[in-house]
Amino acid sequence: MEAFIRARDLSVDFPIYDNSHRSFKKKVLNLTTGGRIGSDAGKHPVVSALAELNFDFSHGDRVGLVGHNGSGKTTLLRVLSGVYAPVRGQLSVRGKIASLLDVSMGLDPDATGFENIYLRGIMDGLKPALIRSKIDEIADFTDLGEYLNLPVRTYSSGMMLRLAFAISTSVEADILIMDEWLSVGDAEFSAKAAARLDVLVGNAAILVIASHNPALIARICTRKIHLEHGRVLSDEPVVPEVQ
Amino acid sequence: MSTENFPIQATVSSARQLWHEHDGGSDISVGLLASHVWLALGWHDIRQRYRRSVLGPFWFTLSTLIMVAVLGILYSTLLGQEITTYLPYLGIGLVVWQYLSACVNEGSTAFIGSAYLIKQIRMPLTVHVSRIVWRNFVILLHSLPVVVVFMFIFGHVPGPEFLLVVPGLVLLLLNGVWIGVVLGTLCARYRDVLPIVGNLIQIVFFFTPIMWTKDLLKDRAWVAELNPFHHMIDIVRGPIIGSTVAPESWLWSVGILVVGFLAAQYLMQRCRNRVPYWV
Repeated sequence: MEAFIRARDLSVDFPIYDNSHRSFKKKVLNLTTGGRIGSDAGKHPVVSALAELNFDFSHGDRVGLVGHNGSGKTTLLRVLSGVYAPVRGQLSVRGKIASLLDVSMGLDPDATGFENIYLRGIMDGLKPALIRSKIDEIADFTDLGEYLNLPVRTYSSGMMLRLAFAISTSVEADILIMDEWLSVGDAEFSAKAAARLDVLVGNAAILVIASHNPALIARICTRKIHLEHGRVLSDEPVVPEVQ
Repeated sequence: MSTENFPIQATVSSARQLWHEHDGGSDISVGLLASHVWLALGWHDIRQRYRRSVLGPFWFTLSTLIMVAVLGILYSTLLGQEITTYLPYLGIGLVVWQYLSACVNEGSTAFIGSAYLIKQIRMPLTVHVSRIVWRNFVILLHSLPVVVVFMFIFGHVPGPEFLLVVPGLVLLLLNGVWIGVVLGTLCARYRDVLPIVGNLIQIVFFFTPIMWTKDLLKDRAWVAELNPFHHMIDIVRGPIIGSTVAPESWLWSVGILVVGFLAAQYLMQRCRNRVPYWV
C-alpha cells in the first residue's frame, strides 16, 4: 500500500465567536426585531488560517514546512493529523498517521508512569493487548526504572519529557507528523533519543515536519514548502548542500 | 454549521484506522464500540478523585449512606410517611437523580472540558461523553447498594421482579450517552445553553417525584407522567422497592432512548467536524 496525502483547495477558517455572537440572545433578538438589528446573524468573522492549498505528498517524501509564526504550519499539521476537518476543499490521506505535535499531551500528573503509557495508548486507538506488549519496550527506553510506578508529578521536567518522548515515539506509522524536531534530556539520553527518532522517521513513508531551523530542513527533508498567511509561497525540492 | 462530510477516505478498515477515520456518521458507533477506552478513562477519573484516600470510591457509598439516612428520617417525619417504605423510595430516587443530573450537567461540558484532547488527537467525540457517563454510572453502582441494605434492615426481601433492575440500569446508562452528546454539542456552540440547562435541572428536581410520591399529585398526575426523568427513575426504583413499574415508564425510557440517539446522530452527522473549532 502506497501512502499518500492529497490536498485540493484545502481551506481552514477559524470562526471568531465573541460574546455577542456566541449566544442565544442575538438569535432571539433577531427573531423579535425582525432581523433589523444584527444583520450579521450567522455570519461570524473568521480568521483564514489556510487558504486553497494544493499539494500531493507521496511515498518517500520528506516535507519541511517553513514560515513565520502564524503562517499556518501547525494548523496544517493538525489538519493532516485529523484534528481539524477542512472547512472547504478535499483532503485524502492513505496510511497510518502518527502525530508528534505535543508530546506531553494528556500526561496526567497524578497517574503513574505506567498508567500514563496505557492511557495514552488507548487514546491513540491501540488495542490493550498491543499496549501491554509495548510497555516493557517503552519502560526500558525511558531508563526511569522504579520511577514508572510513581506519579508523574514527582518527576523532574527532564524525566517527564523522557516518558512523553518514549510514549509518543513508540508508534508505527506510515505518515509521521512533527512540529519541530524533538530533542530531549541530557547528552546521553539525547543521543539515544535522536537514534530512535531517526529510526522512526526512516520507517515512515511520509514525513511532514514544521521547523524554524533551516539546517534541520536541509539535513532531513527532500522538499520544502514555504507558507505565508496560509498560502503556499513556494514548494521546492531541497538540494543537498555541496560540501 | 457546516454539513460537509469529513473527506478523509477510509481506505483501510483496521480498528486503529477506524478510530482515526470515523466521520460524523460513525462517531457514535465507533465511540461506543471502543468500550475499553471509555471504561478505562472513566475508572481512571474515579481513581484520580480518590487517590491516596483510604476508602476510595466507597466514599460515594458512605456519603449516600449519610444523605439517605438523614433525609429519610427528616422527610418521613415532615411528610408524615412511614420511614420503612419512604426511606428506600427516597434513597433510590436520590441516587438515580444524582446520576441523571450529573449526566446532564457534566455532559453539557463534555466537549468544552475535553478541549485539550479534542484539539490534540483525533478520536470519536462520543468517547469523551461515554467516559463521563461511565464515571457517573460507577458512582451510581457504589451508591445504590446502600439503599438495598436499608431495605434488608427494614425487613423487605426483594422478589423476582428485582431482576428488572438490570434492564433498568442498562437503559439509564445508554440514555446518559445521548444526553451528553446532544447537550455537549449544543453547549460547545452556544455557551448560554450551559447556564440554562443548569437552572432547568434544578427546577426539574422539584417537579420529579423523588422527595414525594406521585399519588400526592392526585388529579395533577400528568406533571409526573409527562416527565421523562420520572419514568427513568421509576424503572430502577420500581423493581427494587417491589412496586410494579407502569408499562408506560418502560415505553418512555425506550422511546426517549431512540429519539435521543436519533437526535444525537443527526447532530454528530452535522457538527462532528465543527466541534473542534468551537471548543
